[in-house]
Amino acid sequence: MKLVKIKKFLLISIAFIFLISVTACGSNTANSEEKTIAVGGKEFTEQDIMVHLVSELIEAKTDLTVNRKPFLGGTNIVFTALQSGDLDISVDYTGTGLVSILDEEVVNNADEAYRIVKERYDEEFGITWLEPLGFNNTYAIVMRADMAEELGIEKISDLEEYAAEFSFAATQEFMERDDGYSGMKEAYGFEFKEAKGMDPGLLYTAINEKQVDVSVAFATDGRIPAFNLKILEDDKNYFPPYDAAILIRNDTLEKYPELEEILNSLAGLLTDEEMAKLNAKVDIEQQDSKEVARDWLVENGLID
Amino acid sequence: MNGESLLSSFINTTIERWPMVLDSILSHLSISLMSLAIAVLIGIPLGIFITRHRKFASVIIKIASVFQTIPSVALLGFMIPFFGIGRKPAVIALTIYALLPILQNTYTGIVNCDEAAKEAGKGMGMTSFQVLYMIEIPLSLSIIMAGIRTATVMTIGVATLASLIGAGGLGDLIFRGIASVNPGLILTGAVPSAVLAVLFDSIFRFLERQLTPKGLRK
Repeated sequence: MKLVKIKKFLLISIAFIFLISVTACGSNTANSEEKTIAVGGKEFTEQDIMVHLVSELIEAKTDLTVNRKPFLGGTNIVFTALQSGDLDISVDYTGTGLVSILDEEVVNNADEAYRIVKERYDEEFGITWLEPLGFNNTYAIVMRADMAEELGIEKISDLEEYAAEFSFAATQEFMERDDGYSGMKEAYGFEFKEAKGMDPGLLYTAINEKQVDVSVAFATDGRIPAFNLKILEDDKNYFPPYDAAILIRNDTLEKYPELEEILNSLAGLLTDEEMAKLNAKVDIEQQDSKEVARDWLVENGLID
Repeated sequence: MNGESLLSSFINTTIERWPMVLDSILSHLSISLMSLAIAVLIGIPLGIFITRHRKFASVIIKIASVFQTIPSVALLGFMIPFFGIGRKPAVIALTIYALLPILQNTYTGIVNCDEAAKEAGKGMGMTSFQVLYMIEIPLSLSIIMAGIRTATVMTIGVATLASLIGAGGLGDLIFRGIASVNPGLILTGAVPSAVLAVLFDSIFRFLERQLTPKGLRK
């Protein structure tokens, strides 16, 4: 008899909790529909940090609610979402915009590259490039520092001598892009024994575990110092600039004009080293990207 | 992009890159079939073993289920220190993923065989092994084959992820297509993968019919 009562009580309380949570959710969405903007990023740590950095700043300085969408996918997916209005803000790199989105030739002058993407995005997509953030996340060719030292390899040209016996790994994106492996083979005039396309995250594990000799990395990646990798000097200036900037839809900017000044307060503050440090905090020290973003904003006096 | 230009870009890309497409199809097939073969060689005997030792059944099936839930990129990442990159870790991961349906269906199929048929076999003086291959396996063949077919379709699909660990296959085309905003290239990888899955499903269906004793054919 008693057991039945307890069961009944439990059942009612579960139903009650369920009901509360459903109504809570309901009211939540109703509220946020009014003044919400969506910030999205690609599927790697730096973008994740940038999503939180931008979101934290906006939430601290305005009464907007930010819907954070990190790890959405590659360049294409994030850009499509931004263009369609599913996202209001993202962070992208000049070189990526130029080659992957606008289908333009590589431009090696950083200012020129920025000017082109800013103008064309505004005209063609109704998207504004805010001022560059300060870091240039270009592709970098890396190898294990001890191995590079042993063989006396300092710059990419030095690889020519060893390329026939070296294995090379890169992201699938690098293998496919015109300004990726195919262009690099032409510019430097050699190719590796084998070149494999891989997942961006697994690349670092592969080179750290000595499964490949040379790999592609991103210049601001925290794992470069952490795994003791050496960035080989791009002595033929092959890699175009990939200066990062915040992208925002023009209609969002019209609706909330204050965002321009708020977001431009970040301009120039995030250098390569600063960004690599933030990346390392998340990738190596396993800190929460949201906390890392918040701490950096507080340290730099941008929020309280 | 409208349907027609998508179709033509798919056809053009396939023609333009035919050597790479062919190479990807072949390596995709060899990775998938190798993993399947290993999964069958492990899954069926193990499935039979747990019908004979039921106390292990739930533990072993649960272990296989747990493996199934590990995200593939994570599983591939764990493997690099032990098996490196390329084909080997890809085949091991795919084998692990293919194991559950084969194991599960073998076990369920044999356990649910008609008791009366088994008893009759024993009554006729059959050994345990004879009961297995003369009664239990023929009676449960369609269920076991269904497990293998599920594993086949799944493996051919999941094998696109082998590309994440540098093993090549049709995933290379798909991931490159995604990375370079090239829907035609995505299809050049995805369509052959779907065709292969359907093709091998039909082949195994045919095999199943051929293997089923005449008296049991429907």
